[in-house]
Amino acid sequence: MTQTSPRASAGKGIALRLDGLSKAYGSVRAINDLSFAVDEGRFFVLFGPSSVGKTTTLRTIAGLVRADSGTLEIGGRDMTHAPIGGRGISMVFQSFALYPHLTVYDNLAYPLREEKAAHAEIDKRVKETAEILKLTHRLKAKPATLSGGEQQRVALGRSLIRRPKILLLDEPLTNLDAKLRHETRAELKRLHRQFGMTVIYATPDELEALSMGEVIAVMRDGGIVQIGTPDELYEQPIHTYVASKIGSPHMNLFTASVRADTRSFDTPLGTLVPAAAPKTADAGEAALIGIRPSDIRLAAKGEAGVASKVHLVEPLGDITIVSVVAGGEMLRMVLPEAIAASIRTGDSASIAIDNRKIHVFRAASGQAMT
Amino acid sequence: MTAVSSTLPTPRFTTVVAHNWKLAIAVAVVVSAVSMAGLPAAVSFWVVGATAALVAAAFTVNAYRRHYFGALLVAPAIAVLFVMNIFPLLWSLGLSFFAYQANQQTIRFVGLGNYVRILTNDLAAHATWGALINTAMFVVFTVSAQMIVGFLLAILFAKQFPLRKYLLILVLTPMMLSVVASGVFFTYYYDPTFGILSYVINSISGNQFILMSNKVGAVAGIVFADAWMWSPFVMLLVLAGLVSVPKYLYEAAAIDRISSWRQFWMITFPYIRGLLMLALLFRTIEAFKLADLVILLTKGGNDTLTISYHLIRIANEQNKTSEGAAISYLMLFMVIVLTNLYLYLANRRTQGA
Repeated sequence: MTQTSPRASAGKGIALRLDGLSKAYGSVRAINDLSFAVDEGRFFVLFGPSSVGKTTTLRTIAGLVRADSGTLEIGGRDMTHAPIGGRGISMVFQSFALYPHLTVYDNLAYPLREEKAAHAEIDKRVKETAEILKLTHRLKAKPATLSGGEQQRVALGRSLIRRPKILLLDEPLTNLDAKLRHETRAELKRLHRQFGMTVIYATPDELEALSMGEVIAVMRDGGIVQIGTPDELYEQPIHTYVASKIGSPHMNLFTASVRADTRSFDTPLGTLVPAAAPKTADAGEAALIGIRPSDIRLAAKGEAGVASKVHLVEPLGDITIVSVVAGGEMLRMVLPEAIAASIRTGDSASIAIDNRKIHVFRAASGQAMT
Repeated sequence: MTAVSSTLPTPRFTTVVAHNWKLAIAVAVVVSAVSMAGLPAAVSFWVVGATAALVAAAFTVNAYRRHYFGALLVAPAIAVLFVMNIFPLLWSLGLSFFAYQANQQTIRFVGLGNYVRILTNDLAAHATWGALINTAMFVVFTVSAQMIVGFLLAILFAKQFPLRKYLLILVLTPMMLSVVASGVFFTYYYDPTFGILSYVINSISGNQFILMSNKVGAVAGIVFADAWMWSPFVMLLVLAGLVSVPKYLYEAAAIDRISSWRQFWMITFPYIRGLLMLALLFRTIEAFKLADLVILLTKGGNDTLTISYHLIRIANEQNKTSEGAAISYLMLFMVIVLTNLYLYLANRRTQGA
């Protein structure tokens, strides 16, 4: 890049800003008052189950869908109504959308031909891109003869070849098998580092979101519940929705009520006292207590623990998921294999909860109690 | 299936049972030969027919007893195909080597005489070549008109717009009308005294206008009527191709900033190329056989005689049956050559692309 953008001197700017964006299809609100900003060069993940508005968000950013209301800024300029071609955006579709009647070479070359690039220049760029994506030996093949992983790489190559400022990826790994997904995740991170463009990545897969996202937006019903780094989402979920989507196995949630001192809780497991007590709790208020399976352990000898009965033992190699019933609540805990080896279904177990890791939510709204 | 069928043993050749089809064939051949040699033609005709029925019956019983139900179900269709298509085809091929007229009793072998006559004789060849040239002209004009109009209509109807469904039905109507009905419509439109075309031109120019008064007008009138009838057919085929193009390809192309012109050649055209070829093939063969509209609109006047109409005149009106058969085979030969040329070009392009 020889030209200097006006923001270059001010350090990293905002690549993309959505402000109050809404889009409805008939009576269905695909995205609803969506606002977020993405810093330049970020790997930004839109995470949520299917039909939550991720794809519509990407399509709105690309310009394939016109938003009903709200504004969209790309690189600091209002692009809400800009034509698709003028946005400096590239997109990889879930279906890859390769041109079926063109060879891999032509699939890669077409975006450049339209820019009236010189023939030699196109050839150089295509070969370069094919090299990076390990497609050199497949340049003469038609898309239908390629494997899923190769098709995926061609789709990526076609998007990268124009050096877009922003790359949109719509569930790019959904159509790949498990082994290939793992490889492609690493590949995508490498490409992101190499090219340095902003990536907006939509996925329903928690593992993809956590392993690749520098910033993750958790979406629900066309809106965003929480935006944060993977650590923030894991350590401080602001809603039971986020708590239950991030982290595997999922967080244990059970009902409780705030005691008169507003610092401790009556729960089926007895009284729990979080180390960081919520300041806004009202006495008698209904609450949900959340504890990650990894924050429950077996009580040490002589330590006061909660009595429970082992319901199910699931060994997963180096760790074992043990489900216990305590006070009528089913709780899952993750134990190292060495400790869990002697546990059998039906055993009695005394469990201890790390009180620094207790999450408290309001039962009515699901919001975190702070 | 095999377990069931194997329960019926194959009868000895000389055993008389209903399913002994080999014996039935042998009997039929012998009886037919004897009757043709010894009996008058009017009688032996029925004897040969009866032996054919005997063989068919033997086959049917054999198939039924052996549980060849698939074959039994297909048999009527094959029988009809044979009686209505294959037999007349071979019969007329044979006839084209004889001098024979349907209204006379004499028949005489002339070899390639009929073909030589229709292609080289001063009078007959002149008519044949004239009709062939006219036919070629009609093929070129009607097929190009249909392809262009049908293609444009398909592009139009591939988009969504209000009343699309109802307009589509309207546009498809001409294809479903009987050729005679639309031929009659057009005779009214083109009528020099009360036809709407002449009426409109009269009221503008003040002169009497007769569309069919010269060759250009007559050909234009026939081509227009034919295109009106068959453009919807081309449209239907092309439309099927257009709607089969996945929408996301256009979206990907829009993001890749590919112009609509290039999008058409790169994405749309490959999807409709095969169907365009099919439409071209069907319409060319049909146009080659054009006769109905010519009969209805000009009766071959103003040098609009096509080879099909010429054939009808020779074979049906002038009762030159075997000469007509020769012309039919000339037409068949040309259509086959043309069709294979198309297919060859189409396949070569597909492999080359």
